[in-house]
Amino acid sequence: MAAIELEGLTKDYGEVLANDDVTFDVERGEIFGYLGPNGAGKTTTIRTLLGFISPTDGTARVLGREVTDEAELLEAKRRIGYLPDDPAFDESVTGREILELHASIKGDERSEELLELFDPPLDRTVRHYSHGNVKKLGLVTTFMHDPELAILDEPTGGLDPLMKQRFAEFLREERSRGMTVFLSSHILGEVRRLCDRVGIIRNGRLVAVEPVEALLNRSGKVVRLRAEEPIPRSKLDLEGVYDLETTLSDGGDGPDGTERPAESSVETTATNVDVDRDEVTGETAFTECTFTFTGDVNVLLERLGEYRLIDLSLEEAPLEAVFLRFYGEHDGTDDGEPVTEDGSRTESGRGTANRTGGAGDA
Amino acid sequence: MLELARFDGRNRVRGSLYLSVAMAALAALMIWIFPSYSDAFGEDEEILDALPDAMIRLFDVQTLASLEGFLAFELYVFGWIILLGLYLAYLGAGTVADDIERGRMDVVLSMPVSRARVVFERYAALAVPIVAVNVLTPIVVYVGAELVDDPIPATDVVAVHLLSIPYLFACAAIGLAASVVVDRVGIAQRLAVGITFGLFLVESLLVDTDYEAFGVVSPTRYYDPNEILLEGTHDPVNAGVLIAMIVVLLAASVAWFRRRDV
Repeated sequence: MAAIELEGLTKDYGEVLANDDVTFDVERGEIFGYLGPNGAGKTTTIRTLLGFISPTDGTARVLGREVTDEAELLEAKRRIGYLPDDPAFDESVTGREILELHASIKGDERSEELLELFDPPLDRTVRHYSHGNVKKLGLVTTFMHDPELAILDEPTGGLDPLMKQRFAEFLREERSRGMTVFLSSHILGEVRRLCDRVGIIRNGRLVAVEPVEALLNRSGKVVRLRAEEPIPRSKLDLEGVYDLETTLSDGGDGPDGTERPAESSVETTATNVDVDRDEVTGETAFTECTFTFTGDVNVLLERLGEYRLIDLSLEEAPLEAVFLRFYGEHDGTDDGEPVTEDGSRTESGRGTANRTGGAGDA
Repeated sequence: MLELARFDGRNRVRGSLYLSVAMAALAALMIWIFPSYSDAFGEDEEILDALPDAMIRLFDVQTLASLEGFLAFELYVFGWIILLGLYLAYLGAGTVADDIERGRMDVVLSMPVSRARVVFERYAALAVPIVAVNVLTPIVVYVGAELVDDPIPATDVVAVHLLSIPYLFACAAIGLAASVVVDRVGIAQRLAVGITFGLFLVESLLVDTDYEAFGVVSPTRYYDPNEILLEGTHDPVNAGVLIAMIVVLLAASVAWFRRRDV
């Protein structure tokens, strides 16, 4: 019996189909990541699993109990720890009193150890807690009764990097003790570091369930670089370069600014760059660029090795872009995300980014 | 069992103490001014005669010539039936809706507690203010009446307070019902206060008219301080009706809350 089983789970709010026929299982003893952009329907699934909302259609079981049967679900809840996206506690009491209440209802196996790890300020009233401290208190209440199954909605939001690190270690340890973890996130890197398998939801529909390794190869990095000298665009004529946006400043033939260095910005896809021309123009060279890279980082660095760079950063690709590239049969226009047709996020700076689709305008 | 009620009840202790002291102070003030009021007007009901008919009917003013009648109007009809009645409706409306609006309900319901239990225990915790206001004031009233040489029988003082308890619980139950139906606490509170005051008006203004029957659903009909203090009638049937009202409202609240999405 799987820890969590969803069968055709559907939640229709009338104007929004928050979950549309979602079916998957979370096996015992695994850390399962539930990944999707904000508003994709992750929280709806989680709140259905806990019986807060009832499904329009389909069923779900947690630890073998039907979520629509209150008595059955209560039985399961004794063995479930739940951390909401934005946990809230009675503000007029201290953290200690909150823990006492939780201990009196569901028991306390290990709050001492958890307090050492997460350390919320217990003697302060919750009113005076920072967002991060509320989250830490939430982590203690989630795990204090030593649950078999932890359901965590965006667990690391609001935690500082040190706490995130501690939390990740803690989860891995718990998994080795046999705990099942179902966590949602919109941050790819987090899921990749923590999870064994991921389910990907978009616009209420489950688009993939796969082992985390499959995701590893797919996501890519956003590369931003700035160079002293113009770099020919042909240098980036590489496999795995997407959504290239370049800017040439200082010495290009772009429209002349009077005081500030003129900037021209042209974007094409890497595959149809015109490499024949050798004069340095915005079309053939750049001093600044951003692109998504899914290839081998070493190859990229080798290519750029001969140029003096002012700045280079590699970041996790935004989830929306990854989604559209690999899972996006439907376009992103119906959920209001700032995503263009080719999957790049519209984050052009002051330059007039000339957004084009794959057809290019070289 | 009752962990949530105990937790909530503890949180209500301080506010309830303040409330209880404030109501006792109001009682003391009324008793303190009664002798000079009485000296000035004696046995004649000049003030009562001068009051507009609607007001007499609204506040069910029977007599102002005796301390009992004076307190029934100034303290019990005004302070208990109206002020505390509305306040308890307001508190009741803040129970479930506030938890939902502030996102606390998710944490509460993630514990192994049924929704029925959450509703019941949140409601039960309102016993703290309801009982607290009825502890200090009767002592002040009884002792105060002795001090101004106008004693009121202890049984009447105890009865007027004891019988107010189901009345206040009924008002709180109206609030609770609003609280489970509406999940914006501000709206639930306005709704509860509005309904409770509306029911008070229905009973007060429609009495002795053709529409008197409508008052049957008003908790006000079943708690009459004048009857208790002036006539010494303690009607357990009225308390029974109030308890029946509470049971119905509580059951409806539980049923509604069990079915709804939070």
